[in-house]
Amino acid sequence: MEILKKLKILADSAKYDVSCSSSGSKRTNQPGGLGNSASSGICHTWTADGRCISLLKILQSNNCVYNCSYCVNRVSNDLPRATLTPDELCELTINFYRRNYIEGLFLSTAIYSSPDHTMEMLLQTVKKLREEHNFHGYIHLKAIPGADNLLIEAAGKYVDRMSVNIELPSERGLRLLAPQKKREAIIKPMTFLTSNIAARKAERRKSRKAPSFVPAGQTTQLIVGATPDPDLQILKLSENMYKRFGLKRVYYSAYVPVSHHPHLPDISSPPLLREHRIYQADWLLRFYGFQADELLNEKNPNFTEDYDPKTDWALRNLDYFPVEINRADYEKLLRVPGIGVKSARKILTARRMHSLDFDDLKRIGITMKRAQYFITCKGKYSGQTAMEEHLLRPRLTLSPPKTAGPEQPSLFSFSSDVIAPEDAFSSVTGEI
Amino acid sequence: MLDFVYDGSFNGLLTAIYEIYYRRQVPQQLLSSPGQTPKLFVREERIITDETKAGKVYEAIDTKISSRSLRHIYYAYLSEHMEAGIWIYHYLHLGWKLGNKLDLLLSDERVHRIHRLSQKVSMERHRLLGLLRFQLLRGNIYYAALEPDHNVVELLAPHFAARMAGQNWVIHDVSRDLAAVFNRKEWVATDFTLQHRLELLKEEEYYQQLWQEYYNSMAISSRINPRLQKRCMPQRYWKHLVELS
Ligand code: SF4
Repeated sequence: MEILKKLKILADSAKYDVSCSSSGSKRTNQPGGLGNSASSGICHTWTADGRCISLLKILQSNNCVYNCSYCVNRVSNDLPRATLTPDELCELTINFYRRNYIEGLFLSTAIYSSPDHTMEMLLQTVKKLREEHNFHGYIHLKAIPGADNLLIEAAGKYVDRMSVNIELPSERGLRLLAPQKKREAIIKPMTFLTSNIAARKAERRKSRKAPSFVPAGQTTQLIVGATPDPDLQILKLSENMYKRFGLKRVYYSAYVPVSHHPHLPDISSPPLLREHRIYQADWLLRFYGFQADELLNEKNPNFTEDYDPKTDWALRNLDYFPVEINRADYEKLLRVPGIGVKSARKILTARRMHSLDFDDLKRIGITMKRAQYFITCKGKYSGQTAMEEHLLRPRLTLSPPKTAGPEQPSLFSFSSDVIAPEDAFSSVTGEI
Repeated sequence: MLDFVYDGSFNGLLTAIYEIYYRRQVPQQLLSSPGQTPKLFVREERIITDETKAGKVYEAIDTKISSRSLRHIYYAYLSEHMEAGIWIYHYLHLGWKLGNKLDLLLSDERVHRIHRLSQKVSMERHRLLGLLRFQLLRGNIYYAALEPDHNVVELLAPHFAARMAGQNWVIHDVSRDLAAVFNRKEWVATDFTLQHRLELLKEEEYYQQLWQEYYNSMAISSRINPRLQKRCMPQRYWKHLVELS
């Protein structure tokens, strides 16, 4: 089969994996070599669905012996199949990279034979890229559940990031939709990676010469909406992943209906708004000091459509407010709806010179639309209403998008305030 | 009223700022080229670029204010905003008083507008690090054309010199007739126009086709959202993108 055809088939099969980030690694070029990686990550283009392409995201093979019902590549699906050889993949990566189409490679694969054999082929490809092609761009590699730890360890020396996708947020979901996959088989390589990354990091601190091991850390992906699991369950799981496994990112992918199955929900379009709310909440966990329990609980296990998670939290916790802009510390400022990481930092900087009033805030570029109801400046409150929940609620509802349907991401109206540039540009989330 | 006109170079701008203090005369504008239409009440005075004078101002900013402010000034200058020159002067004037605290005064318009320009330039630089596209030409040269809003070629070059260290490349700002040219050792900025139409190698066409095919396969049809796409990647950049032309 010609490369063009293979590329099409294998890109088609890979596109449902949403992570595309190329951040977190600082790899320098070597003499006579090609490539390096910028620690902030770079987007190279955006597809018609508005997602950023940073890495050549592709499967080595989409031939799968498994039959996970939510997946296009399942063995029972009638679909053109292809496999790229390690050499073909190297050629593609190198030539795309030289033209600046990509930051590097994100290589995944279906399980086309035994897990060990599958992992070995991935290992061969990344090894070739680094050793034969002297390539120093970014590599994100999937670790195959069930593969020998030695293979995963060997691959870890060559790559920047590794991931094992959990996909289904609950054991029950796994049993129903992917009966051949076992929870333990997924957790095992994750645990292995976690402890190895930590150990190697410690070695690297002692000696710069110690070999690197997955320097940009480990990530995973969860599918949102393929199972009845509520947002609370998903967020708790993520929190756990960040705290216990030291994951760099959890990615969320709104379930794209690719097949009919009695255990799958009967929806016509992916739940994008829900995915978006979970991303916002994830942001709150990682950068804003929130706990999952603060945002959701057994009584309210799902996010609402009308309010972003932070505003929703603020409305339920009005006794926390108002926050005095000139005195509150960083953590406290971050709790104010409408004040994000960048704005909070600006406030800290600006008030070193003099205390700030509302005009100052506007001048330094803080949007007051939501913040005004939750802050005072030099003791003054400027929200045009009393700070009571029933008065604030209607003023803070997001106005419904005008041109698009209820789940069209015109809702993704965030400022381009940045945490990692690529995240802002890919606009999966933002300052909240 | 009075305008100063300098030759468009950064040294020219710094010389003009030197002259303001030397002559104790604050002009209305600091222009990078003579005004298009003669103005009735405005006198234009040409400033001759002087490396020594420029060097003094450069040093003073670096030592008396901060290297960070110096960077903001350079980026604001590269924005080519009509008023960048005089804004930089006012920013500096405040800076002599505040020293390295200058960039903390975010609520002051004189600081804020310089930061805004500088931010725009670094934003465009970051975007183009990803959006630049090289094409392989006969003679083994990788050529990239771009038409940026701001004069960012010099800001892009170091990134590609490190990354594509083993390739000869040219990054060509078509609208400004400028280029950064790299010979696998070092890069230089130079005036540049293309003499011939580009002739693509067969190999180049092949990889462009592969990339287009890949790009088109990546979009998920049930999530199509052209508005989001355009907000992330403004349409003015599409012209030079292999996947969209
Ligand atoms: S193992 Fe992976 S590729 Fe195979 S069917 Fe399951 S999810 Fe799809």
